This record gives sequence, C-alpha cells and structure tokens, in this order.
Amino acid sequence: MRNYLLFYVNGSRYQVHGEQAFQSLTDFLRYDLGLTGTKVVCAEGDCGSCTVLIGVPEGDRLIYRPIDGCIQYLWQLDGRHVVTVEGLREAEALHPVQQAMVDSFGSQCGYCTPGFVMALTGMVEQQQPLTRQSVKEGLTGNLCRCTGYEQIIDAALLLNGQTIRPIAERYHSEAMRQDLLACADDPATLTYAESHTPERHAVVISLPVSLEDAISFKARTPRAVVVSGGTDLSVQMNKGRLAPKFILSLTHLKELEGLEVRGDHLRIGAKATWSEVDTFAAEHLPEFHRIIQVFASPQIRNAGTLAGNVGNGSPIADSMPFLYIMETEVELTGPSGTRRVNINQFYRGYKQLDLAPDELISALWLPLPHPEEQMKLYKVSKRKDLDISTVTAGFRLRLQDHQVADIRIAVGGVGPTVLRLPKTEAHLQGRPLTPEALAEAGRLARAEITPISDVRASQDYRLQVTENLFRKLYHDLEAEPAPVA
Amino acid sequence: MTSVGQTVPHDSAVGHVTGEAHYLDDLPPLRGELVVDYLASPVARGVLRGANYDELRALPGVVALYTAADLPGHNLFGPVIADERFLAEGTVEYIGQPIAVIAAQNFRALREAKQRVRWDIEEQEPVLTIDQAIAAQQFIGPTRTIAKGDVEAEWQQAEHRLEGTFFCNGQEQFYLESQAALAVPAEEGQIHLHSSTQNPTEIQQVVAEALGIGFHEVVCICKRMGGGFGGKETQAAIPAVMAALVAHHTQKAARVAWTKDDDMKTTGKRHPYQIRYRATFTAEGRVTGLDFDIYSNAGATADLSTSIMERTLLHSDNAYAIPNVRFRGTVCRTNLPPNTAFRGFGGPQGMANVENVLQEVALTLGRDPYDIRRLNLYDREQQNQAPYGQRLTTHVLPEIMDQLVEESQYRKRLTEIEAFNQSSATTLRGLALTPVKFGISFTTKFLNQGNALVNLYKDGTVQVSTGGTEMGQGLNTKIRQLVSDALGVGYSRIRVMTTSTEKNNNASPTAASAGTDLNGMAAVDACEKIRTRLAAFAAQQLADPEAGIAPEPELITFADDEVWDTRNPGRRMSFPELVKQAYMERISLGERGFYRTPGVDFNRDTGQGTPFFYYTTGAAVSEVSIDRFTGNLTLVRSDLLMDIGESINPGIDRGQVIGGFIQGVGWVTNEELRYSASGALLSYSPTTYKIPNIQDLPDALNVRFIQNPHHHLNVRRSKAVGEPPLMLCLSVWMAVKHALSCVRPGRIPRLHLPATGEEILRRLTELEGGAAFQTPECEIPLIA
Repeated sequence: MRNYLLFYVNGSRYQVHGEQAFQSLTDFLRYDLGLTGTKVVCAEGDCGSCTVLIGVPEGDRLIYRPIDGCIQYLWQLDGRHVVTVEGLREAEALHPVQQAMVDSFGSQCGYCTPGFVMALTGMVEQQQPLTRQSVKEGLTGNLCRCTGYEQIIDAALLLNGQTIRPIAERYHSEAMRQDLLACADDPATLTYAESHTPERHAVVISLPVSLEDAISFKARTPRAVVVSGGTDLSVQMNKGRLAPKFILSLTHLKELEGLEVRGDHLRIGAKATWSEVDTFAAEHLPEFHRIIQVFASPQIRNAGTLAGNVGNGSPIADSMPFLYIMETEVELTGPSGTRRVNINQFYRGYKQLDLAPDELISALWLPLPHPEEQMKLYKVSKRKDLDISTVTAGFRLRLQDHQVADIRIAVGGVGPTVLRLPKTEAHLQGRPLTPEALAEAGRLARAEITPISDVRASQDYRLQVTENLFRKLYHDLEAEPAPVA
Repeated sequence: MTSVGQTVPHDSAVGHVTGEAHYLDDLPPLRGELVVDYLASPVARGVLRGANYDELRALPGVVALYTAADLPGHNLFGPVIADERFLAEGTVEYIGQPIAVIAAQNFRALREAKQRVRWDIEEQEPVLTIDQAIAAQQFIGPTRTIAKGDVEAEWQQAEHRLEGTFFCNGQEQFYLESQAALAVPAEEGQIHLHSSTQNPTEIQQVVAEALGIGFHEVVCICKRMGGGFGGKETQAAIPAVMAALVAHHTQKAARVAWTKDDDMKTTGKRHPYQIRYRATFTAEGRVTGLDFDIYSNAGATADLSTSIMERTLLHSDNAYAIPNVRFRGTVCRTNLPPNTAFRGFGGPQGMANVENVLQEVALTLGRDPYDIRRLNLYDREQQNQAPYGQRLTTHVLPEIMDQLVEESQYRKRLTEIEAFNQSSATTLRGLALTPVKFGISFTTKFLNQGNALVNLYKDGTVQVSTGGTEMGQGLNTKIRQLVSDALGVGYSRIRVMTTSTEKNNNASPTAASAGTDLNGMAAVDACEKIRTRLAAFAAQQLADPEAGIAPEPELITFADDEVWDTRNPGRRMSFPELVKQAYMERISLGERGFYRTPGVDFNRDTGQGTPFFYYTTGAAVSEVSIDRFTGNLTLVRSDLLMDIGESINPGIDRGQVIGGFIQGVGWVTNEELRYSASGALLSYSPTTYKIPNIQDLPDALNVRFIQNPHHHLNVRRSKAVGEPPLMLCLSVWMAVKHALSCVRPGRIPRLHLPATGEEILRRLTELEGGAAFQTPECEIPLIA
C-alpha cells in the first residue's frame, strides 16, 4: 500500500503526497514544476490549450494519446507518463511538428500553440493520416482565436508522419515502464487535512487495484465521488462547484476495462473510453460512430468514458438517445453482487439515478442491432463539433410490408431526462412512413416533450426542431433504402 | 536583399511552438509573491452596503482584502469620460463588477474566500436592453450625426422606399490569455507593473492615479499578449490596478490572472446594436437616401463607446456613394459590463446594417444584389465623396468587385443555387458578395502619433523598442523587417524589445489597425537619424581624395551589413566595423524616432472632415448551406480579395486576413451572448459560447490580394490589415439572407445577427407559416 502517487513527466520521475495530489495536472506542471508551456484557458476541456500526451503501458511499450491536462487530476495519472510541449524538442532541434508550425505561420499570439503542437504530435504518434479532413478531426478539440486555423492545417499538411521519430521510441525506458506497471498492483491511499479551510476537513484519495476493494471503499464512504476519465467531474472541481472529500479513482481497475461481444450483446466496461467505443462503433455501429465523431474532441474521447456519460446522467448527453432506443442495460456492482437495469428505467428525474450509494456502474450491456433494423441519430447543437447538444434524438425502427412493425423514439434536451415518446411511437405503429404520417408524428411529439429555454436555445426552438426532426427522418430514410428482412 | 516583402516567420514563432514564449502568468514567481483575485457583484444594479469582509480576511492563507476605500488615489477613470470605478463604491452597476480585491498565499485560499462571500446589496431593477435604456432616457454623451443632402425630402419624393430595424448582438473578444497583471513594488513607492495590455501608457497612468502617485513612479511593461482584439485596449486597467493596489499596501509582488469565466463575466464586449433604417432608391437600384437611427448598448460606463459609435457613423456608408444620408448615433447606458473595443470598433455593426439594406433593395426590385452593390459602389472619379466630406481617390473598389465576381464565378453559381433551392426539400443554399471599405487612423486626432527607440551596440547589433504591443498580429516582426532595411543590416542583428513605458512614453494604444503604421514609421524615423550620422562619418572614412571621391554622405549606401560609397562600391566597410569606429569617434548610436499621421482631422460636432489617412478595402463571396429542419448552417466556400498595399510580410498578412475573416464569421453565425433576465451573462465560457472551431472552416477558402497602383502613402506603401478583413464576414451573413429569400420569393426575410441555427430556423418557420417563436425581438436574448 502506497501513500503517494507516482508518475513521470518528460522522462522524470515524480512522487506526490497528500494535499499536493489534489490538483489538476496543469496546475502541477505550471506552478510546481514551472513547465509553463502548457496553458490553461477554459479549465473545462473546451479549448485544448492544455493538451499533453499521456503514455499508458500497453503491451511491451507505452501508448501515447493527447488529452486535456486541465481536466486530469493527479490521482488519475498514477502509473502514467506525461509528455508536455517542453518534452518535444531534441537538443536544439525543433520537433518536425514545431518546425512546420513555424514555417506555416501556424501561430499568431501563440497562446493556443502548445496545445495545437501537442494535438498534432498526438496524431502523428497514433499514425493517423494527415489529410485536410483528418487534421480537422484531429484538431477539433483545440480553439484558436487568431489564425482562422488555415495556416495550422497548412503546417499539418507539410508533415510526413512516417519520418517522424515516435515519442514512444524517444522516451522508451524499460525501467520507467516497469516502475509505472508496478503502480497497477500496488494500491494507494492518500490522506490529509485541508489547509485552506478553517474546518480543516479530512480528505481521502483512494486508488484501489481491485473491484472488490473499490466497492468496499464506496460502501464505507458513500459520499465518495467516483472518477475514471474525470472529464465532467474535473470541470466541476475546477469551477468550484464541487469540492469532494473522498475520491475513488478507478485508474487501476482492470476488471472495468475493455469491450467484448457476448452473445447478442456488447459488454462495455465502465472504464472503456469513448475512443475505444468508437473503434468498435466504426466497424459495427455506423450511426453511433457518426454521432461519436461530433461528440467532444479526441482529447476528451481519449479520457472520458461511456459509463461516465451514463453515470453523469445529463439529459443532453450525446449517447443517451442511442442507449435508450437500444434498450441498453446498466450493470451495477455493489457489496451484495451485480444487477442490471434497463437504461429506460435508470433515471428517475433530473440526474436522479437508480444507483445505491454503495454501488458502482461496472459495465453497459448494449444489445447489438438486428440487420433489418434502421436507425437514425441526431445531435442538434449551435456549433457542429465540440458543443453540448441543444436537442438529441434517436429513432430505431423496423418496417414490414412498408409499414412500421416496431419503433422506438428517444429525445434528449427536451425534459429533465431523456424522453421516450410513447404516444408518438403508438401513432406510427402499423403505419407506412409517409411524409404526412411523420409530419403528424412531429406535431404529436411536441405535446410529449417539456423543453425549457436556457443558455443554448429557446423552448420554441427545441419544440420546432423536435417536430422537424420527424420530417428530416423521412428524407434521411428515403435517401437510404430500407434493408430487406 | 530587402527584408520588407519577405515571408519571415513570426518573431516569436519558435517561442510559441516550444512553450518558451512567456505570457504574464508564465513569469517565474518572485519571493513572497501573492496571488490576487476579486469579488464581483452578483446583481446588475443595486445599493452596495458591504459584505462579510472581516470573516474572509481571517481565512487561512488570506493576506489582505481591499475595497474602494483602500485606494490611496482616486477611484474614477475612463479613456474618454471618467465615469468608471476601479472598485464599486456605493452602488453596483453590472453583474461581475469588481467590488473587492483579495490577496492570498495560494489559489486554494482565494477560491475558498470567493466561495464564502455573503453580500449585503439592495437589489434594484436593471436596465439591460436598448429599448429599456431609451424608455429610461439613459444615454452616454450626445447623439452624434453625420449628414449630407436631404433625406427627408428624398423620402417624400422617392420612387421606392423601405424601412425596418436591424438587430445585432455583441461578441466576446475571447483572447485566449485572460486579463492579467503582475505588480512589483520598487524603491520609494514606485511600482513596476507587467500587464497583458494593448495600452501600457494608459495602464501606467491609471495605476498612478489609483495609487495617488506621479506617472513617473510607475513603469508598465508588456512583453506580449495571448491575444487582445481590442479587449485589452482599456480593460486591462482594472486587473492592473488590483495587482498594484496589493503590491502598494503589502510591499510584496502581486499577480492577478483572471479565469476565463470571470473574464467573460466581467469585461465588456463588442456592442450590441439596434438600427432603425429607412432607404430610398430608384427603379434602377440607385440608392438615393439612407436614414439610420443607430443605438448601441454600451453597458454601465462610457469606456470607448462614444468613439466606437463615431466609427459606426463613419462606416454606415460602407463602400457606397449615397447622395442623401443622415446617420444618427446614440449610446445607451445599461446594466451590462462596459462594452469596449473589438476588432472593427463599431465599423462592423454599421457596415452590416447597410449591407442588409442593400440586400433588401435588391430583393424589393427583384434584382441580383451584386448588381445593386456594384451600381452604388464608390469609384475614384465621380461617386467618390464620403458623407463626412473626405474624397476617396486612391482605392480600387471597382476593380476588386469586378475581379472577384469573375474569379469566383459568382453569376453562374448564383443561378445554380437558386435553381437548387427550388428543388431541394432538405437544404437551402445561399450566396453573397459584399465589399469592405475601412478607414485607417484613430478618429481622435491626437492618438495618431508614435515613438520608437533604436539603440545600436558596438558589435553592430540593434535593439528597437516602440510603444506598440505584440498581441500576435506580427507587429514586432514587421518592425524588425523595417529596421533591417532602414539600417541595411541583417534581420538577425535586430531584436524588438519588450514594450515599456520607460522607453516609449505617452504611446497610443496598439489599436485601430495602426500599430505598424505609427510605430513602424517612428522606428524608421529613428533609423534614418542614426543613418544620417553614420553616413556622415562613413563618408569621411570611405572618401578617397586621390580617386576624386570627396566625402558625400548622401552617396553612402547601407545594405546587406555593409556600407560603401556608391561611387566606389569596391571599397566597403562592414556595418559592425563602422559602428565600432563611430563609437570610438563619440558619435551617438541611439535615437528616438517620432511620427504623426499627416492630414487627418475630423470635427465630431459638424460630422465633417478628413478622419482617415487612407482606406483598406476588399470584398468576399461566400456560399452557405442550411439544413431546413434544424437551421444549422455550413459555410461551404469563401473567396476573399483584398487591397493591403505592398505587404511588409505576406505570411503574416495572410494570417491576419484569414484570422480576421473567421473571427467575423463567428460573430455573424454562432457566437451568441445570452443573458438571464436579471442581467447575468449565461454564455461565459467556451462550453456555451461557441467561437469558430477548425471544423467550421469552409472546404474552400481562397485568399488573394490585388495590386493598387494608386496607393503611395504609409510606411513602405503598406496598408493596415488588422481589422478590415473581419468585415469580409458580412458575405456569410448576407448569404444566409439570400438563402432565406429563396423560400418565399417576393417576401423579404428578416434576419438578426448572429444567424445562429435558432435564428435561421425561426425565420424559416416564419416564412413557411409555422408556429411563430415567442421570443421577443431584442438585440440580446434574455432568458427568463
């Protein structure tokens, strides 16, 4: 049992104890290590200025992926290697990504630039293609206010990824890898008394290495917040909306990792990141893949988990309509064992979950779609990419003799939870999907939803969009002929 | 080889990409340094009684808490009208207004203190919108007018008339580096202040005034900003005063670096506008009269709002020669944060309005909007007088329009798009071509000056300092290039130094796109003075009386790090050698340069004069695609064409054009400031305030420059490029209007700015006869 966290930054080893562990990676880099190249702008994962590479031992090497450093707290980095912009330069020579940015006028004020450099280096590291389109996708998580991005794309297109020496190779050290790997077998608990409050609250940060120990900690400290990717929780902490005293970090829980097809279900481990889910979806769930592509950014998809999306319980979470219409089951594990709840019954109100204080979400069970089904998912947001949805919707249907034999409709952003629309579903049941039937369904749907006006859109807009999505569905289904049963 | 005209990388590019370029919060901490933050008003309007300050002071780690009462000097400032308080006193005027400054040993303590504040404020009903301000008769300064001809008579007799109301929302600057300052106490009460500011001179002055000391007791330093865009022209002052106040009282270094959320909540933005317009025109499409009653939402204090309105009035013609005009501008005082400078400085709102009017003229007559724009465009010979009297004789607007309409295949695409819109049930497309004419100079005459300091060292290297600040626009790179040519020395021998009021006094803000014009000219002036002295000395050294070469300083050439007499190019001195010898001969190797823009003068009382040294012009064609069901907009293609004179650095200027354009695209499309009914900004971080993302770039973005043989002014015949490209974005907004106009031909669609998906769907639904949206028509959305 350890009482410290262990990780590496640019090849150097760090052990962090007590209160020092309760900070974001970027605060640690900037204020403790003086590595100020990594910038913080929004502190919520929306600008990418804090992008760093996180190396995780996988197989016989470390795999490096770009993530937003401002929404990683140190307890998530135990057993990881962090590479920052300061770690790219070899002696005096700029890294090829850096040189390309210089040559193409990829920087103006320069504040976002380290983030872009790291995100681009992450693309090179993962051997992603460097076309105009793929570069846009790879840099979706980085905001620049000066350049209008065009010269950053120019820089990326100058690169030949094949000729660039990988970070994994440059920083490879068997001693470091073994050191990091050992963390996963050695649980850590950090305890301290807060120094900045008169009450001097006790704080406990727990990094168990088995699910059993994790459940046990949760049972003993029901108020503990559970952290995996932390892409939502860290934002709440950065903004002062949450100051947890008990933290349960899932970093080392191997039982919760990975995706696996079991019979006619896909079991998605609670720690499976969006990127991992997307790799499966790209091949097997094309419509869900399309939504994941406009969900968040590579940095967030590399950290955030689908189970976290479910556990957070936001009615505008992009995965929700899909999970609803697929009748996904949430697997919950507690001291007395495991149970599965259909996601359609999992939410009892706004962010009210059917989850006991001593239970963890351990997996999601996604029924795989039948080949004769059709599915359409919609995400309507102000900006197409990296924006929280205004309205989301999912339609799953099966036609028989040109008539609706089975239909499920879920809409998000129009009520305290994602809503299924039973009356609208009933109206369409047994009817042919004509423009008139769908237009009428859209009007019925308006009556089944209860949207509000907020920072993203007015109630009017949400009502009208929901109605219109039925008309849009008609055209989208018409554009792709129904599969034959 | 000359340096000017070369595509030299940005002066700090290597620092940018390696993370070694320091911004304010990156400077290493000083011994005992305190971190500083502030407590802000939670209500938009009220009587301030106090808070649990003593309780907060007693928290662990909290070192000090100061209010207005702790300012040794005065608490009122303002660049034009002194009506703004550094720290609220007696009343609060907007949500986010700083009330108290807290200094602590660490961030945890600051955060805890902010969480525990309990206010005693008597809340009052705020005034938030232009309509509410008009009803309450709350204005800042007098209504200003620029007029020409007789619009009333024209209204009576015109063949065609139209009228309406234009609404546009504001825009957050969204510089990535938020406001920040570091104050270091120096000997005998002096303060050395690092500030992320476009205006070190103003920071020096306001800090001195707040502390009640002479300007000479304060040095303000700015190495660089992580973006400014106008947002750090005046509004870097309050954070600077916060840091200085703590340093003054505690005698410890004090640093403030606002969070993005706090910055967005507290600082001002581009002004929302409401403009009541009337236009008259002939059946041929010649616009004969424009009558604009213009209101801006200034927020709680004057800031630069009256100057910004002035630029709106001076740009309400955009590129069009109109015989009868009356532009009246009124600045409204509301309980929002004080709105301020933002790239374009009131120009974009005025130009958006007139472009909307011209589009409506075309729709009324059933004509191609391009033809209406081309018909009314300024030329150099007849249609060349602006409403304020200045004649436009050296521009190439007609050539720009003619070239762009051809190159972009505008006509063919317009026909194709309109046919497409008749057949598609799912998608609407739109196309528009709009010009930009932007006047260069501060319209406040005295600001049109700059100074520079050039120091030569004995090894022939050069340090240059100017009053201009680097915010990414490439000013320092261009200064280096200009100095390189002016002294005939290699670019690498020159360093542009940190901006400091110690070296360059009484500087104007780096604003109005004039940074290179003013500071570049001043630097060249200093170089020329030094060169004159060196030439006189070199002429002696290089003279060869036996070969008939007498000393002739005018014939001494400085180039490529060498110096020679033109009559005897075989005999050369290296520049370092000359400098070294000149030093030994006790010749001064430093010089101050000065420049004031000639000829500019504008009388704001009469609305007449020559406000501008010259104009930067251009035009853009943009094509958009709209999802008919959601209103979501995609920018498909843009073609930009600009006259920026002889470019000092084409790589930097291309970046300014694209960056400005995309920033403008954000303003006209998805950047939407939404407020609560009580006046709280709801969209205060990038989660909810959506600036353009890399995926918002059009698939095709073509950028070209046009030659202008008529332009002979300014440093090396260059033109200012900072602000003008932003307004190329109006092509995108007008393309949306064009798309909507295809839904119900014959009906003129309304369209507020920005054209968000919601705004577009609202107009589509309106045109298609669906249920009308209930949201009231207002320049800013207020969410109940």
